Amino acid sequence: MIEFQQVSRSYGEKLAVDNLSLSIAAGELYSLLGHNGAGKTTAIKILVGLMRPGTGAVRVGGFDVVTCTRQAVALIGYVPDQPFLYDKLSGREVLQFVGRMYGLDQQQTARAIEREVERFELAEFVDELTESYSHGMKQRTVFASALLCRPRVLVVDEPMVGLDPHSIRLVKDLLKLEVADGMCVLMSTHTLSAAEEISNRIGIMSHGRLVFDGTVSELRQRFGGEQQSLEAMYLALTAAGNNAAGATHLKGSGRAVRITNE
Amino acid sequence: MSELAVPTPLDRLAAGPSSGSQLPTEDREAQLLWRLRYSVARTRLRQLLTTARLRTALVTGLSLFFWTGLFLLFYEGFTFIVDNVGMAGATYHAPTVRFVFHLFFASLNVMLVFSSGIILYTSLYNSPETQYLLTLPIRSERIVLYKFQEAVFYSSWGFFLLASPIMIAYGIVVGAPWSYYVLLLPLIIAFVSIPCGVGAILCLLVIHRLPKLRKIVVFGAAFAVLAIAGPLIWRTISSPQSRLFGSEWFQETLYRFRFTQQEWLPSTWLTNGLLEAARIRAVGITSNVTDLPVVQSTLYLALLISNALFLHVLTVWAAKRLFRVSFSNFAARRTRRRPVRMAWSDRIAQALLFGFPKPLQLLIIKDWQLLRRDPVQWSQFLIFFGLLGLYFLNVDRFNNPHSDIGYMTWINMVSFLNLAVVGLILSTFTTRFIYPMISLEGHCFWILGLLPVERDTILWSKFWFASLGSWVPCALLVLLSDMMLQVPTLVICVHQLTCVLLCLGLASIAVGFGAMMPNFHETSPSKIAAGFGGTLNLVLSALYIMVVVVLTALPCHFYLLAGKGPWGSEFFSPQYLKMWLIAGTGAAIIVGAIATVIPLQRGLRAFRQLEFI
Repeated sequence: MIEFQQVSRSYGEKLAVDNLSLSIAAGELYSLLGHNGAGKTTAIKILVGLMRPGTGAVRVGGFDVVTCTRQAVALIGYVPDQPFLYDKLSGREVLQFVGRMYGLDQQQTARAIEREVERFELAEFVDELTESYSHGMKQRTVFASALLCRPRVLVVDEPMVGLDPHSIRLVKDLLKLEVADGMCVLMSTHTLSAAEEISNRIGIMSHGRLVFDGTVSELRQRFGGEQQSLEAMYLALTAAGNNAAGATHLKGSGRAVRITNE
Repeated sequence: MSELAVPTPLDRLAAGPSSGSQLPTEDREAQLLWRLRYSVARTRLRQLLTTARLRTALVTGLSLFFWTGLFLLFYEGFTFIVDNVGMAGATYHAPTVRFVFHLFFASLNVMLVFSSGIILYTSLYNSPETQYLLTLPIRSERIVLYKFQEAVFYSSWGFFLLASPIMIAYGIVVGAPWSYYVLLLPLIIAFVSIPCGVGAILCLLVIHRLPKLRKIVVFGAAFAVLAIAGPLIWRTISSPQSRLFGSEWFQETLYRFRFTQQEWLPSTWLTNGLLEAARIRAVGITSNVTDLPVVQSTLYLALLISNALFLHVLTVWAAKRLFRVSFSNFAARRTRRRPVRMAWSDRIAQALLFGFPKPLQLLIIKDWQLLRRDPVQWSQFLIFFGLLGLYFLNVDRFNNPHSDIGYMTWINMVSFLNLAVVGLILSTFTTRFIYPMISLEGHCFWILGLLPVERDTILWSKFWFASLGSWVPCALLVLLSDMMLQVPTLVICVHQLTCVLLCLGLASIAVGFGAMMPNFHETSPSKIAAGFGGTLNLVLSALYIMVVVVLTALPCHFYLLAGKGPWGSEFFSPQYLKMWLIAGTGAAIIVGAIATVIPLQRGLRAFRQLEFI
């Protein structure tokens, strides 16, 4: 459903995404991990059409995001790290605008809004101006907006930031259910425990490169220790990324692990 | 969130877009964006009328006042032209009015290109809304058009405010037919669309090709325009006094600005369209229908509309091909990280503050550094004060012999008006930048709140920062005005004293009200200033300026004119006038002291009890 093919993108002379190749299938939740500036958000911005790849190609549902941007974007629901809501519109008006822009008619939009209002418990404030919303209320409205048109792909950038434990639990449950229903989810996060708990696969980026792509179990196998925490493995992996630009050798539980850039 | 009931895959297929085929058509997209704009505007208007009545009334009232003033000014000007040159259709009428219109519209033509380009740049490349819209399945060109319409509105409202009183005054003076008034609006709208379209295309091209050099390109173009227009304007106004407004000067000026009358300029089409629409058809002369004034005017309108539409097509074409690429390039530009260190201006400020306690010095230097590192803040005032300086430098261009009583009255009045203008601009500065300072501190009060300094010291630092920072430029500007007008030493002293009173009073009102009516929910200083407290601050500041200036100006005015005018009333005898002068200045000092002490005292009291949330 999502396909990055040897994608690179630079900011001036700094390479933000370096030769990224990645495929995520429908019904899969992929967590992208990495320190600040590792290239996660740039990769996501390329995926949702905000930036263009310098080299390589990105496809969503078979549509190239550069040549068929509109068709590709129509398949995506996006929850950005800094969500935008029109402060002079109510939550319902925002949802109506989104629904109509995705091609739903009035009745379909109304039904979809009711469904998401119930699901995200927005009824109490959905008819108030969004300028009066708390961070949690905004985040729930943005999730409702992203899922309003039943997208095939959901892209979420740091969804847990600023949420209380109860909301984090609900977001995790929601993502799991949507994935079980066939949705393809790409999540960028610093919350390693959440990534470990709900992801089918994880990717670790360091200095623009995808230094690991696989399941948490595969990562543990590479490090040779079943008891290794994801945090310890992540820190070791990203520290290696800091120390070397290309392929590197890591010491993991007494066993050398080769981290390649493929 | 409630129980997570996920629709079946069948629902997903039924409700969601599986490809681009179900997406809205171009017209539907446009309708949805217009509806969005309408909803936002309706909410804003409702909020303005319910929660910001004072500000709305003030802005509407001042706009009407400004419009009426311009209308009367141009009405008198056109009456003068008609009286001395003749009605529309007279031999020299059209060249004279055409010169005024050409110059006016050609200048606005250039300004509209710049303003629309800059506004579009900000709203397309630096706006969270655009970033959001780009993640929705909306056509790139539709997003650009949506933002372009906003740019046209924001860049041309000033044009409408300036041009409408001129056009209406001209129509009334020359007795234009009804068709003139009907054609006014379409002519102006078609005209503004052309420079705005050029600005939009230039904006897209510059960001697409030269995203790193955008500032250099804009400043370079502005400098080129100034380099061409500056010498021409200077040569016109620097003519010897004896030649000013003479027929030779007029001919030279017409010749110098002949480039504004080029046939290919949209401003020329607008001018010709307006003049033709205002022309009254001569009775009894049968002519070809295409020679009728209204038809001629309509043809110019058609010329403007066709060019505006052509530019519209070009804008859509450029947006389709360039916008997403340029947005991506702009987002991916490398921002330079510059190490900041203490500048020479910080050192000078530190040296000048040597008499103040150390904590106060540090707080004032911190506010100074914040101000100087934010060009948005000081650049507006640099422009305002720069324009005022230019005006003051040229204020004595139309002087007369110094013994003339009318001239002396004029000089004295203008000198005090200049002082009031400096005060009014200062009041906008204190409202826009000083008043929101306490509200803005609320967001990072954990820094100041945990420092071992009294809360009073924080407020005092704002007061001294505002009063000292505003006193230096204001005193220099007022001194420049007085020197150019060659006013007596006594008046210079009174003006400087008034200037000190204004700076202290305005700083105290802004700091005091800022502490009494803080707004910790808003992060934008302009929005804080635009609230009720900011508007009240502006109104009170304006009242204070008027009271202080009138108290010092009137006695001074009569004192200087005593014995020089034709009247010989005992009321104007020197002993009375000295008393009036002393009383007026004393009253101004008392009002100044009240305006300085009371708001500051109330502000300090409120600030001590303030809870930062």
